[in-house]
Amino acid sequence: MEAPLASVRHAVSVRHLSKSYGSTRVLDDVSFDVRPGTCVALLGGNGAGKTTTLKCLLGVVPFQGDIEVEGVPVQSRGKDARRQIGYVPQIPAVGEQDTCSDALSFIAELRSVGADRVGWALRMADLTAQARMKVGELSGGMRQRLALAAALLSDPPVLLLDEPASSLDAQSRRELHEMIARLRGEGRTIILSTHVLDHLERLADQLLILDRGRLAFDGSVGELSSRVRGNRLVVNLNGNSPRDFMQALLVAGIGAERVTSAGLPWEEMLLAASTSDPATQEERS
Amino acid sequence: MNAVITLARKEVREAVNSTWLIAYAVLFTLLALGLSYLGERNLGSVGFENFSRTTASLLNLCLLLAPLAALTLGSGAIAGDRERGTLTYLLSQPLDRWELLIGKYLGLAASIALATTLGFGVAGVVIALQTSAMDLGTYLLFLALVLALIVVMTGIGLALSVVSKSRVQALGLAMLVWFVVAFVFDLVLIGMVSATSMHGGGLLAALLLNPIEIVRVLAIIQLEPDLQILGPFGSYLLERVGRTNATVILSAALLMWMALPVTVAAWLFESRED
Repeated sequence: MEAPLASVRHAVSVRHLSKSYGSTRVLDDVSFDVRPGTCVALLGGNGAGKTTTLKCLLGVVPFQGDIEVEGVPVQSRGKDARRQIGYVPQIPAVGEQDTCSDALSFIAELRSVGADRVGWALRMADLTAQARMKVGELSGGMRQRLALAAALLSDPPVLLLDEPASSLDAQSRRELHEMIARLRGEGRTIILSTHVLDHLERLADQLLILDRGRLAFDGSVGELSSRVRGNRLVVNLNGNSPRDFMQALLVAGIGAERVTSAGLPWEEMLLAASTSDPATQEERS
Repeated sequence: MNAVITLARKEVREAVNSTWLIAYAVLFTLLALGLSYLGERNLGSVGFENFSRTTASLLNLCLLLAPLAALTLGSGAIAGDRERGTLTYLLSQPLDRWELLIGKYLGLAASIALATTLGFGVAGVVIALQTSAMDLGTYLLFLALVLALIVVMTGIGLALSVVSKSRVQALGLAMLVWFVVAFVFDLVLIGMVSATSMHGGGLLAALLLNPIEIVRVLAIIQLEPDLQILGPFGSYLLERVGRTNATVILSAALLMWMALPVTVAAWLFESRED
């Protein structure tokens, strides 16, 4: 691991991060810190800015503001910052025609890591038996494990995972969560972008909720629960569907973002409520 | 620099494992053999021609096929990665953007060059065994010119790939460029020469704008002692410019063309929001 530029208090530090694509503002003045050895869940709906945040942390797109990873400024020393990061993309992006072993060897070479780490990574991902199999022949869960193994090849202190569980079945998702918990236990800092919220209360030390490019919440699961408790909305739909009720609210100019059906999981209820403005919350029954 | 070599090696490895490289090499071999054989038959005696005639016959065909292959493959590089989602993943590794681009560029150019050399090499050995008159130097020089053209066109293809939003768009642009440099340019030039008083220097300057024409004229200068095939322009080159000076000017332009597209591609790639 490369020595950081200055004394590191945070594994990741983001200050006034803004990013626009053309005239569209995707991130707007986002600031947060991540303590070393913690797992952070980056939450938000589609278009909230989760993937863009990860791209900025990796320094693969230009941005406004300051980001430091393990004390290394991303904007001026992107290549060095990326040495501190292992990245697992949403769609595991290694060559379909490569064998697992070749795919890992390629990343190992790019990261100037010895060939012995390839064997370690295959064992760590429980893919030793699949070493000669082509990546395209692997199941979704195996591919995700391979991507995670590739990210860990150079033993980086920070891991970025972009929606890693989105295409996995329940069993593979459980295995992935167990692996993430194990990595956090080893002292690695993990930033996990997701909209799948199950097991989050056990995995994440810190939640970051993005809403249309702005940071709507930064705190623990417990803090989010206590904040939402006082703002809970109870709605009697009188037999109407939630969709019809939302439409009616929209027509009335109230806005539908605070409405969730009673059948939704508690996590989604929290998410919906936390991204609305508490000052304008109303109780309806 | 390690990253550049790693990426280039991966491109070559992928190319060797793909069917296109073998198909391309076989096509070139068959064309080299076929053109030589058929050329002799047209002269009345069936058999293989020597190297000089073979290279002359192959010239026009190569100036069409090699740029097409290089442009097509170059155009698919970055645009393909962008479409498959692998570009962000590659960029997330500890490497600079220019390293990714140059690595891919070198790997692609080496792959196409390898296939071309393989095709010509097999044909060269067969022709050498069948004919008594050998002009190996000319044959190798011609191969070197085609390889230089491949390097130029791979760079242009890569630049198109960088600016394109999709692989299809990149391929479309590549085909358009190929059509212009391989066909339209000649027609425009002929039209301009007919319609204006453009001769000699003006024509030479215009030719420098098209790498295919540079290679064509360079090859003719090496193959033909009197440059009659170039008509009045050949006379101008011999009498006013001189064979050596013309070779130097054209070679310098070719070197410039080898460097320019990939430099532009690297500059454009640096400012992309991929």
